[in-house]
Amino acid sequence: MAEPLLQIKNLEKVYPNGMRALKGVSFDVKPGEFLVVIGLSGSGKSTMLRCLNHLHDPTSGSIVFKNEDVTHLEGKKARDVRRRMAMIFQHFNLINRHTVLSNVLMGNLSRTNSLSSIMGMFSSEAKEKALGYLDLVGIREKAYVRADQLSGGQQQRVAIARALAQEPEILLADEPVASLDPATCHTVMDYLEKVNKELGITIICNLHFLSLVRRYATRVIALKEGNMVYDGDPKNIDEAWFEKIYGEGAREVHVN
Amino acid sequence: MWKARVFDAVGIAYLFLIALVVVFQPDDMAMLNLGRNTLLAILGVAIGFGFSFGFNGIGLKTLGEAIFEPPHKKALAEPIPWYKTFWGIQLATLFVVTCVAGVQVTQVSLYELTDPDGFRGAKKILMSLFNPEMSILPRGVLAIVETIFIAFMATVIAVPIAFVLSFLCAKNIMGGTPFGFGVYMFLRTVLNVTRSIEPLIWAIIFTVWVGIGPFAGMLGLMLHSIASLAKQYSEFIECVEDGPIEGITATGAGPLQVVWFAVVPQIVLPYISFTIYRWDINVRMATIIGLVGGGGIGTMLIQYQGQAMWPEVGTLALLIVIAVWAMDTASAYIREAIK
Ligand SMILES: Nc1ncnc2c1ncn2[C@@H]1O[C@H](COP(=O)(O)OP(=O)(O)OP(=O)(O)O)[C@@H](O)[C@H]1O
Ligand SMILES: [Mg+2]
Repeated sequence: MAEPLLQIKNLEKVYPNGMRALKGVSFDVKPGEFLVVIGLSGSGKSTMLRCLNHLHDPTSGSIVFKNEDVTHLEGKKARDVRRRMAMIFQHFNLINRHTVLSNVLMGNLSRTNSLSSIMGMFSSEAKEKALGYLDLVGIREKAYVRADQLSGGQQQRVAIARALAQEPEILLADEPVASLDPATCHTVMDYLEKVNKELGITIICNLHFLSLVRRYATRVIALKEGNMVYDGDPKNIDEAWFEKIYGEGAREVHVN
Repeated sequence: MWKARVFDAVGIAYLFLIALVVVFQPDDMAMLNLGRNTLLAILGVAIGFGFSFGFNGIGLKTLGEAIFEPPHKKALAEPIPWYKTFWGIQLATLFVVTCVAGVQVTQVSLYELTDPDGFRGAKKILMSLFNPEMSILPRGVLAIVETIFIAFMATVIAVPIAFVLSFLCAKNIMGGTPFGFGVYMFLRTVLNVTRSIEPLIWAIIFTVWVGIGPFAGMLGLMLHSIASLAKQYSEFIECVEDGPIEGITATGAGPLQVVWFAVVPQIVLPYISFTIYRWDINVRMATIIGLVGGGGIGTMLIQYQGQAMWPEVGTLALLIVIAVWAMDTASAYIREAIK
């Protein structure tokens, strides 16, 4: 069995307002997995991803990344972990007034000193690579278009390219397709799968639709009110598990 | 609901004091007795609170109540015409009493307005304003150019300073740590005080400091512009979207890079727009500041006005109108175009 890439033990997060969003979650992530996190709205999925890359500081527990304890980090070290665990978001979070290429180059910020990045001086090598990533997600021809001119699905692909520009080991995706229509949804998920299979980047992805989970996940964990209630193969989520995760009387919705 | 109580108490105290003046007809000496009058005002407020709670106790909806009640209650209020409600009568009473008192205080007098002597004087000035003395035009033009430069320099120096300050007094940037919050509170207070002092007053202070002339006027305007712009800028920073900030932070970017790549693109346009607007305001203010020795056309105007040389004043007034109108129009077009 491969060495775990990420070991999460008893992870807890209490927000300043007293909300206990995570109540001791433990699991390992193996290299190359496509791990999907499911759970009701408010179950703590986003909180968990944000704790992993230190957008939020975990309250207690531990996160070990390649045998290195990265639970509590600040400054340069935290930024380095963020670079190695890229993240994409439900609302894409691109910089609207910049071009697509410029947005992708922003994936290099942690490795460029402040002054040259502000002057817009990225190496030509970085530009070549950025164009390459745009190629990979199929929108190289949009490189010089402003980001807000693109459709939602295209923006999410730019976000994936920006994440790839960070040359990450893990890609965190917080409901990457929740604001897209069903067809576009599959396009974006297909690119994530490609990133996972072709570049070997481990993916941890929050999703809402079980049909997508069954199609893309190699492993699933489920959260309920901040606790982990399922960890296993997506194929084994049957009716009984479904009710346990989503509550009595819940019905599955299909996206095709 | 304390806001409503205070509002009503002050309103009633006000009526009480006016009633005292009407009943006792105090002379000047009595009006100047600040100590006793303050006591009376406090008594009035106390009585006001008494009435306010009393009205509330017997279920009357007072004006304060009507203004400050929470929105969900407002939505439930029955539609009664205002003149049939207690708060409507209260509002009307306050308004009428204030109008009557206002006429007294500002010494409104139809007699003065229609006095033939005074009227003739005003007519003479108006006529000479419309018959400008063109021989001073060249000097007037130079003076207005000076005014526009005063406004320009004040704006140009104020912008970078306000830009930096605006980040330091934006709550979403500084609110995170106790130290940051301290800096935020301190700067907010200093800027609010600076802003609440009119540029005219600043210019007077600076004429004492650096002497009468355009430099004093420029400094006064600049100080006021810094405070105003920093406030306006920081309000834009406070309503930037979090998404891009999160997105850039997640790439591992440093704090300066986050500000530059995620915050700045969201605020450049409003910044430019408000800066142009500020220059426009500054041109107008620079003419006024000249009146107290801040240089430019205002200084020239006050000299001729002092000697009652109305045709000359007319020329200068005309120049000011043209300059202000031109700046105003240009700024409006530019701001419209870059929106
Ligand atoms: N910044 C915050 N401060 C306080 N409470 C928060 C904060 N962010 C999230 N929460 C709370 O923590 C809990 C978990 O939220 P989280 O966003 O992680 O859920 P989620 O599973 O991602 O839900 P969704 O599917 O709606 O995105 C919720 O009850 C939420 O209200
Ligand atoms: Mg979420």
